[in-house]
Parts: sequence; structure tokens; C-alpha cells
Amino acid sequence: MFNGIKLESPLFYFQTSFNKSAAADELFNAEAECGLVVKEAPLSAQLILRGDGSDTLFCAAIAKTLGVVLPLAPGTYHQQGNTSIYWLGPSEWLIIEVGGQAQKIEIALRKALKGHIAIVDVSGGQTSINLRGAGVATVLKKSTVYDFEAWDLATPISGCAAQTTFAKASALISNRSDGSYNLVIRRSFADYIALWLLDAGEEFGCRIEQG
Amino acid sequence: MLLIYCPHCQEYREEEEFSYGGEAHIMRPLAPDALSDKDWGDYLFFRTNARGIHHEMWYHAVGCRRYFNATRDTVTYEILETYKTGTQPTITGANS
Amino acid sequence: MSQNRVASHTGAAIDFTFNGKAYQGIAGDTLASALLANGVDVVGRSFKYARPRGIFGHGAEEPNAIVQLGSGAGTVPNLKATQIELYQGLQASSVNGWPSVNFDLMGLIGAFGRLMPPGFYYKTFMYPKKLWMTYEHFIRKAAGLGATPVEADPDSYDKLNQHCDVLVAGAGPAGLVAAREAARTGARVIIADEQSQFGGSLLASKQQVDGIAAPLWVASLVAELMAYSNVQMLPRSTVFGYYDHNFLTILERRTDHLGAVSTCGTRQRLHRVRAAQVVLATGAFERPLVFAHNDIPGVMLASSVSTYVNRYGVAPGNKLVLFTTNDNAYQTALDWQGTGREVVAVIDSRRNPCGEIVAAVAAMGIEVIAGHGLIEAQGGKRVKRALVAPINEAGTQVTGAVRRLDCDLIACSGGWSPAVHLSSHTGAKPQWDENIVAFRPGNSKQQERSAGACRGTFDLQGCLSEGASAGADAALLSGYGDGSPQFPQIAVEEYIEEPQQALFLVPHTKPTSRAPSQFVDFQLDVSASGIELAVREGFESVEHIKRYTALGFGTDQGKLGNINGMAILANALDQTIAETGTTIFRPAYTPTTFGAIAGRDVNQLFDPERYTAVHRWHVEQGAKFEDVGQWKRPWYFPQQGETMQQAVDREGLAVRNSLGILDASTLGKIDIQGPDVAEFITRIYTNSYLKLAPGKCRYGVMLKEDGMIFDDGVCACLGDNHYLMFTTTGGAADVLAWLELWQQTEWPELQVYFTSVTDHWTTATVSGPNARRVMAKVCTDIDLSNEAFAFMDWRDGTVAGVKARVFRISFTGELSYEVNVPAHYGRHIWETLIAAGEEFNITPYGTETMHVLRAEKGFIIVGQDTDGSMTPADMNMDWVVGKNKAFSFIGKRSLQRSDTVRANRKQLVGLKTLNAKEVLPEGAQVVFDAEQKIPMAMQGHVTSSYFSASLGHSIALAVVKGGHDRLGQVVYCPLADGRSIAAEIVSSVFYDPKGERQHV
Repeated sequence: MFNGIKLESPLFYFQTSFNKSAAADELFNAEAECGLVVKEAPLSAQLILRGDGSDTLFCAAIAKTLGVVLPLAPGTYHQQGNTSIYWLGPSEWLIIEVGGQAQKIEIALRKALKGHIAIVDVSGGQTSINLRGAGVATVLKKSTVYDFEAWDLATPISGCAAQTTFAKASALISNRSDGSYNLVIRRSFADYIALWLLDAGEEFGCRIEQG
Repeated sequence: MLLIYCPHCQEYREEEEFSYGGEAHIMRPLAPDALSDKDWGDYLFFRTNARGIHHEMWYHAVGCRRYFNATRDTVTYEILETYKTGTQPTITGANS
Repeated sequence: MSQNRVASHTGAAIDFTFNGKAYQGIAGDTLASALLANGVDVVGRSFKYARPRGIFGHGAEEPNAIVQLGSGAGTVPNLKATQIELYQGLQASSVNGWPSVNFDLMGLIGAFGRLMPPGFYYKTFMYPKKLWMTYEHFIRKAAGLGATPVEADPDSYDKLNQHCDVLVAGAGPAGLVAAREAARTGARVIIADEQSQFGGSLLASKQQVDGIAAPLWVASLVAELMAYSNVQMLPRSTVFGYYDHNFLTILERRTDHLGAVSTCGTRQRLHRVRAAQVVLATGAFERPLVFAHNDIPGVMLASSVSTYVNRYGVAPGNKLVLFTTNDNAYQTALDWQGTGREVVAVIDSRRNPCGEIVAAVAAMGIEVIAGHGLIEAQGGKRVKRALVAPINEAGTQVTGAVRRLDCDLIACSGGWSPAVHLSSHTGAKPQWDENIVAFRPGNSKQQERSAGACRGTFDLQGCLSEGASAGADAALLSGYGDGSPQFPQIAVEEYIEEPQQALFLVPHTKPTSRAPSQFVDFQLDVSASGIELAVREGFESVEHIKRYTALGFGTDQGKLGNINGMAILANALDQTIAETGTTIFRPAYTPTTFGAIAGRDVNQLFDPERYTAVHRWHVEQGAKFEDVGQWKRPWYFPQQGETMQQAVDREGLAVRNSLGILDASTLGKIDIQGPDVAEFITRIYTNSYLKLAPGKCRYGVMLKEDGMIFDDGVCACLGDNHYLMFTTTGGAADVLAWLELWQQTEWPELQVYFTSVTDHWTTATVSGPNARRVMAKVCTDIDLSNEAFAFMDWRDGTVAGVKARVFRISFTGELSYEVNVPAHYGRHIWETLIAAGEEFNITPYGTETMHVLRAEKGFIIVGQDTDGSMTPADMNMDWVVGKNKAFSFIGKRSLQRSDTVRANRKQLVGLKTLNAKEVLPEGAQVVFDAEQKIPMAMQGHVTSSYFSASLGHSIALAVVKGGHDRLGQVVYCPLADGRSIAAEIVSSVFYDPKGERQHV
């Protein structure tokens, strides 16, 4: 009865509206290296995890279930394959699995974890976008007050992350081992942030890549 | 524009990530219904409004969403320390 | 070749116009140097007396050459010609001097200058009050404050948030070496200078530094700095503000030197810098000497004359008289001599000037007249002669015969004033130092140190040494290097200077009050006699004198005149300068455009627009939107030709009679988990949740501790230890912070975790008698019968093929289902419901209809019917307060305070206008007697008011004093047009008072 259910990521309309515009070729298809390339990683599984990081059983259960060691140091994330865990606060983490299913992760975690914990599916409420290109550092300086130059370089399995203001919205920003940055942004602010990025990247040449 | 050390994120962050939470270390009375109007009014409305050393709450609204306390000089705006909720300041002034 | 251009100085020609006339300058010129090269004497008129004024300085201190640049949308008022780099096609005009600088109306007033003493405006334009607007218009136009563009600014501005270890403000000798010392330690360095080229005073210097000419030495140092990847160099960038915790703002002018409107990107960039350490190397301003008619065009600062000669190749005159109190200015005589033009004489106020440079000047055959003052300049639109007379040692009296020297240029120097502005911004109080006859920066309040001339060190050797130490010190304190400079000493060639004389007011043969005007602040025509008059009128405080005389109020902010003014004031008050003190400098150091402060936060980026997942559908349907916080919510969905009222009537009737659908996704949603959730929210809400079972919902109100309603909404028990709290759209973030506050700071022993899920869910509310029928078409795994799924229940199920949570709650009073799905499915669920509802004429409705429908039911909206001063009892909602709860919930005790229990509080009631068609304006005041005299006794106000299509009459909610006991009473709402609308106080529930429709 409801075959062909269409899922729409937060930037779905932003991307399609630029598809229709005259600038679409420039924005999507240009092979030329741009100073800022924006790419959404749509529809990944995203869950908030709450619990006691000083509880070794809790940490061990997370590592066993997700295959990723829970990051306990403020401002860091760990990654294995498609799954990343970001430190958000002393008892709060964000789990992202690209291409994953939040429900499956939630069921597995609830089975593995005991005591006072919380798991909340927030997949519909946020999205990840990747920023790369020579202009990224300046675009970040235009958009946030955080000092990214102070960060250590990321490796394929770990890196730095910070929740901070982004223009007049907010974002969880992390560095990647290829020198690019990932932003996790809220759905309702996604169009605003995309517009902001296009504007901030204009001086370097800016391109949106289909996620 | 203050620069505030978040004791949870363990780094300095810009003021725009925080919101102010008012005076710290004010205990809610355990039995409000037993208080006179005056005593309840004191708890509700009266603050030390210190000139100089002041202990106050801040909320890292755009960061880790934790409340913590700061000891701030209300004259110079210097933040002398920040410390986690439930712990005590190491720096106290005449009014503390 | 322009008349004043030194022959050896060449460059590409640049055409420009000034006050409509065409001129030519050369590459490297400022507008000021180009005007001087062309022999333009008069560049503006003074503020009050409309006296002709010429270029006086060469930088930010310039008081006279204030111009309007460009025209149309890109025009900029009140720029200093000394700071405008010349570009091809530049158009500028004087801002002072309406209708023209060479002859103007206000010139007549100049002839009656003595009629305009300080406080003139306060004294003259007081009465009658109604004419003030006329006066102001005339004064503004005549005074020449420049013209603001009336069109939108075509330029683009942005901001960059920067972080560095060492910020160096100023790239003169001290700043450059400070930056080098910090750079070599590996520290992140930013060095900014307001000029197009780094080098400061060295650019116009003839000295040898480290064995080479000063400008060459600067070039090599700049090249060295450019090679460091850890150094960011910002020319054309003014550090204009110094704020708490070492936060500084820099205005970078990126394209101003290329044209009036940028054709190549961002015009100006605001750098917001958080620096660990700061080196202030902002230099010093030369102080003019205050003598009679010292404002005639052709009087200039000595260093400015040297700068025009040495740097720009412009000799602004032919016959120079130099008037000085110090050795330093003698260099100007040497520089002028170098152009081949005549130095008539050097007037030195000191009895026995004996410095090395004095001897050097005398050796050139230049007459040095010691122990004299230049007491008056004469001339109209250009200096013609100088009157010179012997003065006593204290510099207070003329002691002999006046001598006349013919000349067309007077260069003057009263010593140097450190630019202590930025250190003053931090709260450091400038300290008077008799030895240098100037204010030095006060003790540091932040992580900063001053170096070089801005610290009162005026010799080049000293500047370089201080700069090196400051740079190394700043680097060390930010965690780099060992604190010892690599180049503590740099060889320079300079004269050893003898002490200067402190001379702030040059005596005249007549007393100050009768002498020709001796100007202190050129821009605002503040004279020495004006300051003395203010003292005679009783002013004593420097801050009061400033405001009474307007000293330092112009766009130069007293950079030139302040110290002389303070000294004259001190003398008139018979106290020391240290006792008198100086006024406080505040940001901005120089004028800053609003464009740069706004940055990119303009037009569609002005404020975030938050969209729901169904937003594009609303747009496609032609919805009108309402701003609710940052959200764009559909307000109403007009069909072709419909007015708003018609659309709202249609939408409301559809809900009452068949089926409507509302996008309620913007409601705040907080997921709460943990063993103590029920206890926790029972402490927060006024009612109890301890016995709420999974599958059940409850409406709750939360109070602030003062007992006033703060937010409301439904809370659902999702399972053991798991709740979902709905908040108002606008209250979502505040409620989350409120919950965290109590859990983290007061009740950490309660185990609860809160997570915002507002954005995760799309909420589509179907409401109306046919709601169950439409749900039955799209959902087969929930038993929708009233028995199995009752009002205030919720169920998990599959809706349109998607896992959903369905809540049977109602804000319309009709049978309603709120369908929640993850937002990726938002549009799918919405369109499926629309299609399924077609047979019931499903009607999308917006916030306006929602407001009408809930008002018919008497449901309050927090923030509309409440305003932070309403208790549940005031809202007739005592039923929501659990009076027997074990824990004294937030705000409970306040409900018993004498003020909250008094009888005549404003209470929520319904109002029914006697004329059924008349709709009361929201906010209208309520009175009991419409015939009483004004001011009437106001008894309340209307909080919500609509026309109800379902009821066929207007309805309103109002808060009225003691309203709950006044049912049936007729009250009046007096309107601004004099009419009063009569209305009867009725129950606040207008529709379906027993609430039967939502239970079916």
C-alpha cells in the first residue's frame, strides 16, 4: 500500500532547488577543484547515548556492541569503519553509523547495557555534512569562534570534535584524517547553514556535491 | 566578550557558547511550605550582588550542556576560576 | 607636474575630483597628499564658525580634511583625506561647508564668532521647544555631518574569528621588531597596521637603520615576516577596540583603495581576535601649538610637513616658519631645506636650545629664534605671515616687541602624545609624566604591554629595543621562546635630544579672552578662551568640560587637541594636569562602518529561518507564514481571492465540521529517561505524574519558582522510566535548560537524562469529526476505537508504512490524532494523509486558525494569554495544581504568598462583545466605566481576540481584576479613536463547554 516511501534528508530540498537553478552545473558537476566542497552524508543512523563513562562495564559493553571504544576524553571522537562515537559531554555521546539503522543499534545497545542509561534515536533531527577544499579553514573562521588551529591532526580512527556556535546556529564539528571537516547540524537549521556556507565559500569558489 | 574555561570540556570557550545562570550556591529550602513569606521571599528575590568576588553559575548551552560555577570579579570581569557544580570555590571574597 | 610636487618624486598619474574639480595625483598618494600637491588650501569649513580649514595632519589625527567619498549607494561620509588612498576616478567632496567651502552662508556667522560661546546650542536653541526640530535640521546641514546613503549598501562585508598567541597593534619600528621576535619563537602572530604599508614613521624617515636607509630596512623586515607561516600580516587594518579577556577587533579595508564600490569581493572585513598576549605599538601623535589663528590653512604639524616631503614628495608651500618646543621638530627644517624651498626661521620657545640637531640646523644657515613664541598667524584662506615675540621662561607672557615674518607655511610641534587609546579601552588609566610632557599608558589591566612611542619612548633606538623585548616577552607568556630577544639592539643614526618645554597655550599680547581665537579642537572650534569661559561658568570636571565645550567630540575624537585642552583646563583650575586627568578613551579608535559590524548577517542570512520537514509543501501550497521564534510556521493557506479572514473562517469550519490537518512539528519535544523520571517531572510540573501509566498522556503546567506560569504542554509516559515532554514552540530551549538546571544543580541524586528530539520528529495533527476515518485508512495496526484508544492515550503503530507514535491529544477540542514520525518521512506522511483525507475535504490549517479554535475552547497560549505574571489560579486552572503532592513542586510555595492569593488579581475570562461582529483589538485595556475621566482606572486587558466562524460572533480572552467573580458584568474597551466597545464578561470556554467532542 505504501510502496516507494520517499525519505528526505534535511538538505534534500536545498540540493534539488539548486539542481533546478542556472548555477546547477557549476555547483554540482564542475570537476575543477573548488576552494569549498560541501557534501551531505544523508540518512545515517544517529543516536544519543547517555551513561556513566567511569563504569568499565558500560564502556566494555559499548566497545563490544559497536566495535568502537567509547571516547572518554573531552573533545574527541573514535571511529571504526562506518561507525563513529563523539564525546558530547561528561555523560553524553553521539553515535553515527553511516548507512546504519538506528533501531537496530538501539535494540543491540539496550540488550547490552544495564543500569541508568539512555539511548535516543535522533536520526531524523540532524545530518552530517563534509567540508573540504583549500578554503575550509577560512570558512570555519567566518562561521565559528572556535580555534580549530589548536587541534591535533585526525587519524583514521580518532580525531577532535567540538560543539560550538556556527553562524547563528550550532554544529558539532570534527576533523578528519584527510584534512576535511565534518559538521553535524540540526535539521531545522540545515537550509540556513547551507546558504551560509555557499555565501562564505563564494570567494574561493564553492561546490555542492550530491550526497 | 568573556573567555570561559569549561571544566567539563576542559578548554577555554567563547562567551557566546554560554548562558548566565545567576548566583551560585543558593540552596533551595528543603521545606518551602514551612517558610514565612519573608523567608521565602529572601530565597526567591534577594542576591548578594557583590562588588568584587562573585560565585555564579554558567550553562554551556551550545557545548556540553553542563552547568558549572565560576568565581568572577564583578569589577574587572576577570574569571578567577571555574569549578564543577557540587564542589566549592578555592577563591572567596569578603562577602562569601 | 603639480605645483607642490618635488621634482624627483614620480609615479603613474591618477585622476580624481574634489568638490567637482578635476585634479591629478600619482600612485602612492593619499587624497590629502594629492590635494596638497595641487595647492588646494581650503578643504573644509569648521563646525561652528565656518572658518576655512586646510589639511593639518597626515593620519588618523586629521581634524579638518573630512570628506564625503563617492556618490549614490556606495558613498561614505566623514572619511579623513589623510587616510584615503588615491585611486583612478576617485570623487570626494568636503562634508563641512554648505553650500561651498570657498564661500558659504555660515561664513557670515564666522564673522560673529564671539556670539557662539561654548554651550551655545544649549543656551540658544532652547525655546520654543517646537522649533527644535527646525533648529536641528539647520544646524546639522550647516555643520556638515556628511550625507548617509539612502540606497542599500552595494558592498559586501564579512567577519573572521581569529585566535593568536601574540597580536601586535601597529607596524612602526616597535611593532615590526616585536612581531619578528615573537614570530621566530613559533608563536602565532597577527600584526596589523592602519596604513597601506608597514613601517609607520620609518616610511618618512631619512635615518639609517642597521646601516641602510630606514624604508629599505623596513622592506627587508617585512619580507622576513612574510616568510613565516605563523605570521598573519594585515595592512590597511585598524585595531579599533580592546575588550575583556584580550578580545580585540580589527577593521581591515580590503578594497577601499581600489574604488568607492568593490568589484572584487569583500569590501571590509572585521577580524574578531582572541589573543593570548598583545603588544601595543600604536605610536604617538604630534601635538599642535595653540596660538592665535592657528587654524588658518597653511598651519600644519611639523611631522606632517616632513611626511609629505619625504614620503609623498609634496612640499605644501614655499616659505616655512617652524615653531617648536623641542629638538625633534628641527628635522622638519632640514627636510624642507632639502626640497630647495626656503626656511624663513625656526622659532623655539626654549631660552637656550642646545641639542645636536639645533646646531645642525644653525649650521645650514637657518635662523633659530630662541626664547620666542609664534603668537599669531595671519592670512585669510592661506597663511601670509607669522607674528613672533619673545616670551618669558614659563611661556605665559609676551615680554617684548612683535616681529612679523612673511611665510605661507607654519609647521608646529608641541611635543608628542602617545596613542594610549587601546590601553585605555582596557580600563588602564593614563598616567601623566612630566618628563615627557605627556600621558603614558596606565598599568596593564590585561595581558598587554606597550612598546615604543605609544609608551612614551620617542627615540628610535629606544623604540626598537622596547619592541624587541615586548615581542619576546609576549611570546614567552603565551608559551613560546625564552623571553630574550634575538636583536636587543639595532644600530641607528639619530641625534641626541635635549629636553623639551611644556607649552600648551602660547601667550598673546592680549589676554586669552580678547586675543584672536587660539584653537584647541579644530573640528569643533573649541578655543582656549572657550575652555577658560567654561571654568568661569563653574565647570570643574574634565568629563563635564568635554561635554559642555564639545572638546574631543569630532571624528578625530580629540587625538590632536585633548592634551592641550586638559592642560589649559588644569591651568584655569589652578591645578596640575595629573590632578585634572584626561577623559576616557573608548572604542572605536577610528570610525567603523556598520557594514563591517553587521558582516554577513544581512538579508536572508540576517537570522536563521528554521523549517519543518513539510515546509516545502506549505510553500508550494501558497501558505502565508508567521514567524514563531526562528521558525517559519504556516499562518494560513489562502485559496484564490481569499482574504485572511475568509481563509481562517474556511479552515476553522473544516476542522469543526469534517477534517483539518496542522503541521505541529515545531512544538518542543524532550525525551526523558531514567528511573527517577516520574519523580523529577512531578517536581517540575504542578500536577503529578507518579501514577501515569505507559500509553497515557497528561497535560501539565510548569511554574517558575515565583509561582508564575512558564510553559505548558503534554507529557506522555512512553514506558517504564521513559517519558516524552512536549513544550511550547518558543519555550523548547528554555525548558530543556530549566530541567538540566534542577537536575544538575539541585537534585543530582535523581537519575534522569534529557535529550532534545524536537528536530527528529515530524508531527502531523489530524483534527475534526472525520479524524478517526482518515486514520483508519492509513493505519491498520492500532485499534482506533474510542474504547481501545481513548482521549489522552498514545499508541505505537505503523502509519502510511512508517513506524509512528500517535497521540490522542487535542488543542482544537475536536477528535484529534497527532501522528509523529521521524522527520525523514515527514513529507511522505503528510502527503499520504492529505491524499487519504481528500474524501473528507481535508483542509490544511495554519497557526491563525489554530489560535481561533483553541480560543473557542478557552485553551491558553503561554506567552500570549500569560505574560510571566500569571498563576494557574489566575488562568482559572486550579485543576492542574496537585495540592497534595508530597514534594513541594517548583513554584508551589509562591502560590500562597500574600500577593498571589489576593482577591483582585487579573484573572482570565471570556469577553463577548455586545455587537457580535465587532472584534476587540488584542492589547486593548478594559475599564468598568467608559464615561470616567482620563486617565481611566484600567482593570485589565484583552489577550486574545478573534472572529469565530463556528460561533458566528467575535470572541476574546482577557485578564480582568477579580474577573472570576464578575461573570455577566459589562465592561468597556476604550479605543484610540475615542470609541468604546462594550463587552460582557463570560466564561472563557465558548465552544463545547463540556468537552464532549474531543472524547468521541
